Amino acid sequence: MIIPTIWMSAIVYACEISILSIGFTLTYLTAKIPNFAHGTYAGVGIYVVYTLSKILNLSPYIGFPISFLLGGVVSVVIFLLVIGVLTKMGGGAIVLTISTLAIQIFLTAILSIYAYWLRAKYKTYALGFLLKDFDFRVGGFQGIFPVSVSICVVTVILLHYMLTRTKTGVAMRATAEDPELASVLGINTYRIQLYSWFLTGGLACLAGSMLPLWFMSSPATGAAIITSIMAGSLLGGLDSIYGAIIGGFGVGLSEILLTTWAMSIKIGGKQLLWIGEYRPLVPMFFMIAILLLEPRGLQGVLERLQASETGSRLIGMIRRGES
Amino acid sequence: MLSLIGASVGAVSGRLIIDIAMYFGIFVIVAMALNFQYGNAGVPNMGCAVQVIAGGLAVSTFTLRLTLWIVQKAGEPIKPYASNYDWVYNNPYNVQYVINDFIKNRPLFGISLLLFTLALSLVLGAAVGWLMSLPAIRLRATYLMITLITMADASQIIARNWPPLCGGTLGVYVPNVYAWYTGDRTIVSAVVTLAIGIISFFIFRTMLNSPYGRLMRSIRENEVTVGSVGKNVTGIRRNILVFASGITALTGALWAFYFSFVIDANYQRALWTYWPWLMLILGGPGNNAGTFLGCALVVAMRRVIIIYKWFFDKLFFFPIAYFEQILLGTLLMVVMIFRPSGIIPEKLLYIPGINYGKMVREEVKVDWRAAPKARTGGRRFKLWGRKGSGSE
Repeated sequence: MIIPTIWMSAIVYACEISILSIGFTLTYLTAKIPNFAHGTYAGVGIYVVYTLSKILNLSPYIGFPISFLLGGVVSVVIFLLVIGVLTKMGGGAIVLTISTLAIQIFLTAILSIYAYWLRAKYKTYALGFLLKDFDFRVGGFQGIFPVSVSICVVTVILLHYMLTRTKTGVAMRATAEDPELASVLGINTYRIQLYSWFLTGGLACLAGSMLPLWFMSSPATGAAIITSIMAGSLLGGLDSIYGAIIGGFGVGLSEILLTTWAMSIKIGGKQLLWIGEYRPLVPMFFMIAILLLEPRGLQGVLERLQASETGSRLIGMIRRGES
Repeated sequence: MLSLIGASVGAVSGRLIIDIAMYFGIFVIVAMALNFQYGNAGVPNMGCAVQVIAGGLAVSTFTLRLTLWIVQKAGEPIKPYASNYDWVYNNPYNVQYVINDFIKNRPLFGISLLLFTLALSLVLGAAVGWLMSLPAIRLRATYLMITLITMADASQIIARNWPPLCGGTLGVYVPNVYAWYTGDRTIVSAVVTLAIGIISFFIFRTMLNSPYGRLMRSIRENEVTVGSVGKNVTGIRRNILVFASGITALTGALWAFYFSFVIDANYQRALWTYWPWLMLILGGPGNNAGTFLGCALVVAMRRVIIIYKWFFDKLFFFPIAYFEQILLGTLLMVVMIFRPSGIIPEKLLYIPGINYGKMVREEVKVDWRAAPKARTGGRRFKLWGRKGSGSE
């Protein structure tokens, strides 16, 4: 079976954006803020993989669990030092959001400094790189393609299992719904918040560690993909994790496929190659279209379907078809 | 070594003062507009960069074309500028050798060009603010922030990739409207910017002391209550966004004239959204004194670090800009944690003519006619909105 490279590229990107969108939504649910530093966690993952493969000459795949742990630790440290303290002092959503913007700039600066340090110490080019050479090959295509798809699927299944079957997951959902009520029922909401920040940071870092194996990466990559993440999360409705999975996948897929498709259109014998430059605008168009048409995203569409008679019958048919 | 530093301080300090004055003038307008929107009305405008870039593009797209057309009509040898290629390629010659010489002998032309551009950018900025408010103003603050911040990125991408706006990645020179001044051009630029800053300060102060200002503060405190007494909250927030966007766009034009050059990299989201917010939060949102202090602190720190870059760069192995970002980010965190309402907190609102002691004792009988600033008579701008015309 031959899969076109552009489809592989789109699917790898979509898997990463999907995982990142899940984390963004989880942060929004537990802390009620859009975490603009979320993309920058991915930058941490990028440099973990870079250090392991280029400096220590190990397989980049060893970096995946390491970056998951490191991302979680970074995220928890940020929560303990900044977000938690500001929340305790009663900082509003806007103050917290500004603080995440500051964290984004701060983390990007630290990553840049680390990259300059690597350049000065090891004389390697650490400010813009591609790690395709360190990847293995399976049946004619890059190893990252099956790996990223399986990581995405496994993450979604594990997360679903965790949120519906384990006590921690149920407590997490309860805390997201109503922190006061959850704490009345005996849930340690502070610890649950710590767990969820660890999870979001870890997932973001894991997604980031997959990026340099297919896409050009630099210290600013993390800050640049935040738009796609937010679009994916908004498409999912901003308050539904399952929506974020689909939304992130859809935005990531369409960002690459739509641009490629538009570039192949010919008008007057001339290809519209210039459209490629506007690729970052695709998620923004998504975002504005969602806000104008259905501000609650896919979640809102689902609720509307359930409310209407035809829609509920349709959903019932799908459910029965499943069983 | 010390003597070298001393000599360079002497040479640099004059330039440094003008530079800091210019940057202060520019950023204080953005920060004041932000204070007007967020500090007083609770509209979290994370898209200042969009309005600023609208002002900058007004210069490169409209003023430059208009000047080229006028100068060509006046019979000067302007090279063609119709196609994208000519627009970028002939631009240095057209601006440096023809237009600037033309303005040099005609001060009135330069000044009217400046005023025209400012008016144009005001209108364009207001239009951009209105467009920005369309998808998101009805929604929660979070949606508004996400949308505005992505719009800031989008505007920069469009400016970078569409040559008719500002020459794409190469940038374009714009007419030097201060060419009639024989001395240092940057001094005039700084003086003009500071003057506009003072004018906009008085405009904002007057608006905040008016009934509309009190209405804005009441929306910030509790928009449900304001809505329940019959005020059009969405409309008022849109008006605020539109008005402040117009003022913010002025800085884009002034910024372009300071450099005589427009390129998208001068209008980055980080520069025009993050730094003004940092100034606002640092100084304390809700009062203008705090905004001034925060702005002066951040601008002075950044400019001193950048101008003495040659000295600092010897101490580190990485570009000093990253160190500066870490320094200011840490400062912001420290101020947020230890002084949550900024260096200068907002004072309680005092309206002359109200006996607050009586109000506390529940003998509320406010004589509004005695309040000198509580009345606006019958003259109200259309901009103020249909319903939200006063808080009495």
